[in-house]
Amino acid sequence: MQRLKAFPKAKLTAVLEMMIQKATVWVPSMIAGVSRFAPYRPGTDIQMGTNTAISPKEALFPSTEKIYKFSAYGIDGDFEPVDPSVGPQILFGLRSCDMQGILCLDDVFLTRGYVDDFYGSKREATTLITLGCVTPGADCFCASMGVNPAEHDASDAQMYDLGDAYGIIARSVKGEALVKDLMAAGLLSDTDKSQGPTADFVLKVDSEGITEKLQQMFDHPLWDELSRKCLNCGTCAYLCPTCHCFDIAEKKRNQHCGVKIKCWDTCMFSEYALMAGGHNPRPSKKERVRQRFMHKLRYFPERYGKLQCTGCGRCIAKCPVNLEITDVIKLAGEAKSDG
Amino acid sequence: MNQITKEMRDLARELLASGEVKGLIGWTKGSRWYLTPPLFITRPEEAEQLYFDQFAVNNLTGLLLDYRYGDDKIALFVKGCDSRGIVRLLQDHQIKREKVLVIGVPCMGMSDKKAVTDPRQPVELPLLDKCLECRYPNPVIADRLIGGALVSGEPSEPKGLTASEAAKRGVGSKQADRFAQVKAIEAMSADEKYAFWQAQHEKCLRCYACRNICPACNCRECIFESDKKGWVNKSATPTDNAFFAVTRAMHVAGRCVECGECERVCPMDIPIMALNRKVIQDINELFGESDAGTDLDGKMPLGLFKNDDPEEFM
Repeated sequence: MQRLKAFPKAKLTAVLEMMIQKATVWVPSMIAGVSRFAPYRPGTDIQMGTNTAISPKEALFPSTEKIYKFSAYGIDGDFEPVDPSVGPQILFGLRSCDMQGILCLDDVFLTRGYVDDFYGSKREATTLITLGCVTPGADCFCASMGVNPAEHDASDAQMYDLGDAYGIIARSVKGEALVKDLMAAGLLSDTDKSQGPTADFVLKVDSEGITEKLQQMFDHPLWDELSRKCLNCGTCAYLCPTCHCFDIAEKKRNQHCGVKIKCWDTCMFSEYALMAGGHNPRPSKKERVRQRFMHKLRYFPERYGKLQCTGCGRCIAKCPVNLEITDVIKLAGEAKSDG
Repeated sequence: MNQITKEMRDLARELLASGEVKGLIGWTKGSRWYLTPPLFITRPEEAEQLYFDQFAVNNLTGLLLDYRYGDDKIALFVKGCDSRGIVRLLQDHQIKREKVLVIGVPCMGMSDKKAVTDPRQPVELPLLDKCLECRYPNPVIADRLIGGALVSGEPSEPKGLTASEAAKRGVGSKQADRFAQVKAIEAMSADEKYAFWQAQHEKCLRCYACRNICPACNCRECIFESDKKGWVNKSATPTDNAFFAVTRAMHVAGRCVECGECERVCPMDIPIMALNRKVIQDINELFGESDAGTDLDGKMPLGLFKNDDPEEFM
């Protein structure tokens, strides 16, 4: 068996400096007091120890994106497309939960007969490097959602936390090219070390059978009870690595011309389901809260065969009222079905 | 179980069993030792779930807005800071006085869960800054009181069962620093101020947690929910975010009750209270010192015209 290649943690910046020669490298960073993935530059405050507060989906699905420019003078209209593509980029140090989140986004934006170019072009240009997780955070529960924190086999390359070094193996052609570059630069050496076991999770929940259970719970009073404390803010959705809803709006320069934009939206907002004519099929908090959890735990698995919650715990960490998806799964599991 | 929690459950049980109120909003113990989130109950047997400790930080008054068009009487518990939210909602005619039963609780100061290092191991945590700066630890309005709480419409020392604990933990010990961050930002050059706020506004996700938890943000339809007017849209660019932040701050001008919840719930740690406090400081300087949400019958500085009001811009 081939031995694991590794580079010392002290050489991290050297590795990143090498990588930015060929691509934009998104690394977990501290930006204005918040940890998030951001393009690496010399001097970046890198945060490899814990997962980021903001999910890395913004590298593939930015919160605001231009779609096209338009102008209209009387009956003369004109469109100018906006190129959504980006240059080669690397997402460096993704945790398994966020890798799983990208697989969910892939399902939505790339399958079922339509490829979203805004997402697809960025995804195509991206190399994903995952990092094994040995110390889950206080709000993490990925193992409960069927995600292996130690490694994820869908990435282009996997890094392992070896204490004072990072081990790395390639999993795809893109990953092999990257490891080859690191070898050529003399940054990798053989190691006998391996990643230690992942520490025990504080949060655990049994998600077995939750999809089937929720199929019988659309009219259950649980949604009324759960939604009472919800503020219907968008914190959970905007931090979520899998939430993918967007709205299309326009920014007008004047009454004739402007730009169409797509920007994050969420089923938590009252106007999200509002229809032309004023009808709102999700008029209260109950319907909105139900939609959020039904989508993640029932509709998405029904459509794509996987849960749309990866256990990253960001919504739990930041929910202003501690409406925790782990509690929802537990309470739904214990509830008497209404079917 | 602590004494306040016991009194809470007893009173809740009584109020729901007698039918005096249809629903009750309090706090319950959460999934970890440092979480005591909101709880809404309607049945007397649910009173057992109520809990109060130094993590019951949520201001519950904003939740009353969900019931503003209903006929049901709702009870809720308020700490000193929360209680100013009740005055806010009453003065803004969002709730009817007879449809809300306000239960005052004494406050020992709320702990900062950001200081948690081991989620398994309960330890004493430092107070939230807003509690160190607290000037109204006692409810300013209440129909019922538990835990020896006392109503006070003036800045006062913590009273009730937790008075000595509150004093020991430092509640109100940094009142003098209330405008310290405002002064620090005012001391910056224009370019530094711009860079500071630009970095903060760049972070904003436009999740509206700050708006949705705020008792002063009680518009039936927020302008940020509609782009029909063409002034605002959902795009989260620094410019649009700054427009949101400033609009929000100016809209709660003279009405912000300083509960600090906007800043606490911001997932991006934007110093929202610095903006609110700047507006409060300016109002104090222009119209004389006042504290919003402390006097139900008092006139708000921006809701009152006087012949000698400053008119610098006319």
